[in-house]
Amino acid sequence: MNTKRIALIVLLGSMLVVPVAQAQIKHIEMRVEGMT
Amino acid sequence: MKQHLGRQSGVQKVEVNLLDGKVDVTPKEDGQIDPAQLLKATYDSGVTAAEMDMTARGKIVKDSSGSLALQVEPNRSFAFAPNELSNGLESRAGTQTIVTVLGQLYKKPAGKKKADLAVPLRLLILEVQKKE
Repeated sequence: MNTKRIALIVLLGSMLVVPVAQAQIKHIEMRVEGMT
Repeated sequence: MKQHLGRQSGVQKVEVNLLDGKVDVTPKEDGQIDPAQLLKATYDSGVTAAEMDMTARGKIVKDSSGSLALQVEPNRSFAFAPNELSNGLESRAGTQTIVTVLGQLYKKPAGKKKADLAVPLRLLILEVQKKE
């Protein structure tokens, strides 16, 4: 019973976290001058 | 410069192309990377950043001044430099839509040798790659 309840809480929690976790900086590209 | 940038928080990998002066930075997934800090670290390593582009996913929000911004972390967002593409995203503000954009965060002002790093970076959207 407890296991089911914990599994449900984890599932609901992950549904809330996913949209934020998906947000991120994927890549940065710079052009620089004066590099030797 | 490669080692200097590689030591910044949130940086997973740095690739430098000496021929065309291109620097590729792959962020870690921990969300700790700070483009402004990278820009500063670039100057500290003795080279001049001419341009910085970023690909990022996030939610469209309105910041405290009412400007549209891309929120990439709960506590980090980049205000848009207004253009046609950012105007097209206005209807998504405050929704759960996740967009992926390629944008220019920094461009060295013409005729200036040193950048003003105190000015907050604004994201000029060059391409909206995905809306989810």
